[in-house]
Amino acid sequence: MSFSIPYSRRRRYLTGIDWLMGGMHHSALRFTGVGALSQAILDLDGSLPETPLRSALDQISARLPILHGRVARDWLNLAPYWKLPRRAGGNPISLRVVDLPSDAAAEAQRLLADHVNQPLAPPSDHLSFLLIRLGNQRSRLGMVFDHRLFDAIGAESFLRLIDQTWQGNLDQIAPKVKLTEPAHLDHWSRRFRSGKLLNAGLLKLAEREVCALKMPAAGSSPRVRFCHASLTIEQTERFRQRAAAECGMPILLPSAAARAVLSLQHAIPIMPLPGQQYLVFTSASTRAAGQEWESLFFNHLSFLPFSIDVDPPQSPTALVLKLRDQLFEQMRQGIPAALQDASALVRICPHWLGSRLMGRMFKGRLCSFYFACLRETGFPERTFLGLPAVDLIHTPTAFAPPGMNLCMTTFGDRFNLVLSYLDGVLEDSAAAAMMGHFKSLLVE
Amino acid sequence: MPAHNTDAIQTQLCGEIQTLLSLPPNSVLPETSLQSLGLDSLRFVSLLIIIEQKFGVSLIKVGLRQQDMQSAATLAAAISAGQTA
Repeated sequence: MSFSIPYSRRRRYLTGIDWLMGGMHHSALRFTGVGALSQAILDLDGSLPETPLRSALDQISARLPILHGRVARDWLNLAPYWKLPRRAGGNPISLRVVDLPSDAAAEAQRLLADHVNQPLAPPSDHLSFLLIRLGNQRSRLGMVFDHRLFDAIGAESFLRLIDQTWQGNLDQIAPKVKLTEPAHLDHWSRRFRSGKLLNAGLLKLAEREVCALKMPAAGSSPRVRFCHASLTIEQTERFRQRAAAECGMPILLPSAAARAVLSLQHAIPIMPLPGQQYLVFTSASTRAAGQEWESLFFNHLSFLPFSIDVDPPQSPTALVLKLRDQLFEQMRQGIPAALQDASALVRICPHWLGSRLMGRMFKGRLCSFYFACLRETGFPERTFLGLPAVDLIHTPTAFAPPGMNLCMTTFGDRFNLVLSYLDGVLEDSAAAAMMGHFKSLLVE
Repeated sequence: MPAHNTDAIQTQLCGEIQTLLSLPPNSVLPETSLQSLGLDSLRFVSLLIIIEQKFGVSLIKVGLRQQDMQSAATLAAAISAGQTA
């Protein structure tokens, strides 16, 4: 039986997944002081003027007050929600412009890394832009966003929204954006069944110790560092074909995740003990096709865990088949949907308590690393505010624990790879070795 | 599990794909390329599981080829072959 409780137009109730992302934000905040932020960096051919960008941001900010919301709790039904401000507008979205000489690419890189390592002003700022112009030839636009407001594809769609606003299409798009959400206080028996299934799965995963890197002390505020690589169009296509041949179907996740684990095993000097496992959490998009504006805000994803024996070292193909079988088994059991369903039940739990319970279950080692392989993109355009878009990469802050994320994103017909890690979790040389090995395994 | 004819399988498959991707009715034709619909890893796997449940054929076990995953029509042919094997 299901019923709907009337809800306010100024309340966007959080889904269970949004609440879990809030938990990750809370946990990362404890370690780094900045929370779960990410940065989408758009590389443009030419000098991007500030005025049209500022104008587009002001128009969007005035039209979509959700950008200035904050998390609150409904004390009647105890469900958490995103509280939309009464009036649109609020503080202008932060935009800083830096002009550098055309040969200062390294300095631009440093500024962008600093940008994502700074906290957003709480509680109502969830976006910050940094525009770096390198002479008249190149511009790099970094958009730091709060992961509680957008997932990676939503962030790309937001960049697209800026471009569409510049083209004068905001009035057509804004009514499509879904701003409210019911409290999901329904389907109780289904949610409890999902919770039972999920709990059994988590307990099984927690039976074996997780091989993970040592985290820095909480409160030591380590910076997040990045290592980036790109595949060419030909390399991307070759990998797609190899992945399809390995799995017997055009899917990428098992092949990419297997190579990510092998590159970790190859390059990182952790000493796994017999009987330990690598536990990799992968995110998977649950966005409906063609719903990019409806699902612009908040998180439209679920998670799948992959458990891999640390010993003995395996060939990529053998590992791919094991991961493919795990993917099938989890999908048969309905784990991603169960997580979406059951996570709504834990929203009553404060984040600090949730983190503590999960930490205890996994003895403080939640997983070896997070892995994302995004085949879809929210920014299919090749221009932005009239300039050719050359590249779009993501630099997410590493979730903590485990302090390390690896993500593959799509721009055009090729993949970008980014390894994010906390200072002290990995040496730069080890990160470069892992990324190098990962890329070589993808393109071999 | 009763054997279905290929046309009936095609029609049913198109409906299942539409539901899976939340697409409007009649938006997936038997010849529509599955790749062009933006099926990611999870949704491909979901589709194969739906096929197992609805048609009683595990395409992974019977040996799925890449060309079988081109469209609903090629998938329907593979399912039909799997049912008669």
